[in-house]
Amino acid sequence: MNRTLQKKIKPYIWLLPSIILMAVFVIFPILIVFRLAFSEVSKAGIVGGFVGFKNFRDAIGLPAFKTVMLNTFYWVISVVGLSTVFGFIIAMVLNQKFHGRKIARAILVLPWATSLVIQASVWNYIIKYEYGNLNNVLLNLGIIKEAINWRSSYQIEFIWECGVGIFVTIPFVTFCVLSGLQSIDSTLYEAADIDGASYWDKLWRITVPLVKPSLTVSTVLNIIYVFNSFPIVYTMTKGAPANKTDTLVTYLYMLNYYNRQKGPATALSVIGFLVLCICAGIYMVGVMRKEEDL
Amino acid sequence: MKKIMAMLLALVMVFALGTSAFAADEITLDVIICQYSPGTQDWFLGTGMDGSNFVDKFEAENPGIKLNLEVVSWNDVYTVADTRIADGKLDILNIDVFANYANEGLLEPVSQYCPEDLYNDFFPSFIANSVIDDTVWAVPDLASARALWYNVDMFDEMGIEPPTTWAELEDVSQTILDFYDGEVYPWGIDMTTDEGQAAFAYYTWGNGGGFIDEDGNWALNSDANVEAIEYAISLVNNGYTNPNPATQTRYDLEDMFAAGDMAMVIAPNDMPTYCAGKDSTVNLASAPIPANEGMTGSGVGVMDRVMAFKDESLSEEETAARDEAIGKFLEFFYRPENYVGWVSMEGFLPAVNSAVAALVESDPSFEAWLSVLDTSKFYPTALGEWDAVKQGVIKAEQNALTGADVRAELDALQADIVAQAEAAK
Repeated sequence: MNRTLQKKIKPYIWLLPSIILMAVFVIFPILIVFRLAFSEVSKAGIVGGFVGFKNFRDAIGLPAFKTVMLNTFYWVISVVGLSTVFGFIIAMVLNQKFHGRKIARAILVLPWATSLVIQASVWNYIIKYEYGNLNNVLLNLGIIKEAINWRSSYQIEFIWECGVGIFVTIPFVTFCVLSGLQSIDSTLYEAADIDGASYWDKLWRITVPLVKPSLTVSTVLNIIYVFNSFPIVYTMTKGAPANKTDTLVTYLYMLNYYNRQKGPATALSVIGFLVLCICAGIYMVGVMRKEEDL
Repeated sequence: MKKIMAMLLALVMVFALGTSAFAADEITLDVIICQYSPGTQDWFLGTGMDGSNFVDKFEAENPGIKLNLEVVSWNDVYTVADTRIADGKLDILNIDVFANYANEGLLEPVSQYCPEDLYNDFFPSFIANSVIDDTVWAVPDLASARALWYNVDMFDEMGIEPPTTWAELEDVSQTILDFYDGEVYPWGIDMTTDEGQAAFAYYTWGNGGGFIDEDGNWALNSDANVEAIEYAISLVNNGYTNPNPATQTRYDLEDMFAAGDMAMVIAPNDMPTYCAGKDSTVNLASAPIPANEGMTGSGVGVMDRVMAFKDESLSEEETAARDEAIGKFLEFFYRPENYVGWVSMEGFLPAVNSAVAALVESDPSFEAWLSVLDTSKFYPTALGEWDAVKQGVIKAEQNALTGADVRAELDALQADIVAQAEAAK
C-alpha cells in the first residue's frame, strides 16, 4: 500500500469506532422507527405489513393532536425563550467580581445537576395544596390566610410545568453565556469607556454581538433538549386532564404504552424527529454561512 | 502442538454437544409476575417463602423445568410484556387484561395446559370473566373487592352514619365540611389514568347503568351513565372531594385517608393493611358503596389473571411438554400451602375454593369480603374493546372536569367504540 493511500484511509480508520457506535445506537434505531411508522403494528407490538401513510393520517386525526402540538409549541418557546433571557441576566451578574461568586456559581449548577424526575417531584410537593411547602411558608408568614390550590386548572398546571422547565434550563444557558463573556477581551470595554460609551452601548455593541455564538449554540441545543423533554410533564401531570397538558413526547409515550396505539405513536415520533431536523438544519445552514463569510 | 490443539477442539465440541443435549431435555419457562406489593419480589425470588422462594422451591420439585421469572411493577408490565411478546420470549404472564392478546391469536386456551382438578377449583364466576367465544383464555390469580371506607372517629364525633344513597352522601359531605371547617375532605374521587375507570364503575353501577347493557353490548352513553357522571362531577364542583381528581390517584386518596385528612374513600379490602403500613392511627370501618335513591348498590370486584402464550416455533411434541410444564407451574402456585401464604401476604382475596377455609381460619374478615365479592360486578374485560373503553371513560371524565358536556363526551365515546367493535368483526 503506498503512503498516499494510507494517508487517505487513516482518518477513516480513526473515525470507524464512532461511526460504528453511531450506526448501532442512533442510525439503526431511527431506521426501525421509520419502518414501524409505515407498518401495521398490533397492540401487542407485532409488526405487520406496509400501510403507507395510514399511521400518519391516524396520528394527525387524533382529537388531541392539535392541543398537543400547540402545547409543544408553547412549551418550547416559553422554556427556551425565558430561560435564555434569565440565563443571560444571571450570567452577566456572575461575570462581575463579588464576594462569594464561586459559591453562587456552584449553587446555580444544582438545578441542572439534579435529575429532572426528582426536580419535578420536589415541585409537585412544593405546590401541593394539602401539605405543600409554598402554602405552609405563605401561611406562616401571614401573607395568605387560607391555603391556595396552586393547581386549580389545567392551564395553571401547564404554566407550572413551563416554570419548572425554565428553572432547570437556566443553568445551562448561564454557563454557555458565561463562557462567552469570559472570552471577551477586556480592552474592548476599556476602549469603549475612553470613547464615552454608556452601559447600554457596551451591552448592545460589544457584549451581545460577541456572546451571540454561545447564545446560538445554547438556543439550538435547548430547543432539541426541551422539545424532547419528558420527565417534567410526565411526573407533574401525566398530560392530564385528557391530554390537555401533554407535549408531543409525553403524548406519544402515552399513546404507545398506555393507549397501545403503536402505529400512530411511531408516526408522531417521526414527525417530532423531522421538526427537530428542520431546526438543526436551519442552525447548520446559519453556521456554515458564517464560516463562509469568515 | 497441532495434535494437542485438535484434541482440545474435539473436547470442546463434545462438551458443547453434551450441553446442548442436556439443554434440550430441560424446559425453561419465561414468566412475568406483577408486583402487588414490596413482598412480591421477596416471595417469588428472595426469601419471603419460608426462608426460601417460589422459584427455588418449584425448580427443586421439578428438576426438568427452569423458571426465568421476573417480577415487574404495574407501571412497566405492559411495556415489558409487549417487548417480550414481540421477541417471542414469554410463556406465562400475570396481568389484568387478556382480550387483546386472545383476539390477536397469541394465547393458548386454558384447556391445553391447566390440570382438570385445578380448573374445577377456580370460582366459576371468575372463570366466566375470562371467556371469549366459549373458550377460556386465562385463569384468575386473585381478586379484590372495593367498598366505602370511613373514619369511624370522625363519624362518631359528628354523630352521623355513613351514607347509603347519593342524597345522603351530599348531606354527609356538607356536614363534614361544616363541622371541620373545610379542614377535612369529605369524599375521595380518582379520575386519573391510573384508575379513572373505577370511578366510572362506582357511579354508573350505582345508578343502574354501566359499561354494557343486558345483552352484553356497549352502552356507555345511557341516560343512567350520563346522570351518574354528572353527579360525580357535581361532587367535585361542590367542593366535597379532593381538589384535583385528574391527577390525584387512589393511592394519594388512601394516603389522605390514612393521615386523617379525608373522611370517606372507596378502596380495596386491604385498606386496613395499607393504613397500618402508613403507621396510621385512623379508626376505619367499611360500608357498602352508596347508590342513587331506589337503586341497589353493587359491589365492585377487580380480578387479575394468569395466561399462557403460544410458541409457534415448537414441534407438537415440544408443545405438549411445554404445556405440561405450565400445568405444573400452575398446580404448584395454587397448591394451598403455597397459594394461601401468597394471597394473605398480598392482602387480596383468593380465586380458588381450596384456599378459602385456610384463609378464613387465619382472618375471619375474609368470609365477609368473599360474600361481597360473590355479588360484585366486574369490568367487562373479555370484550376486545375494553382497553379503549377504559381509556375513553377516563378521558370523558377528565374532559367533564374541565367543563365539557358529559352527554356529548359519552355519545362520542360510544360511537367510537361501536365503530371499533364493528371493524373488529
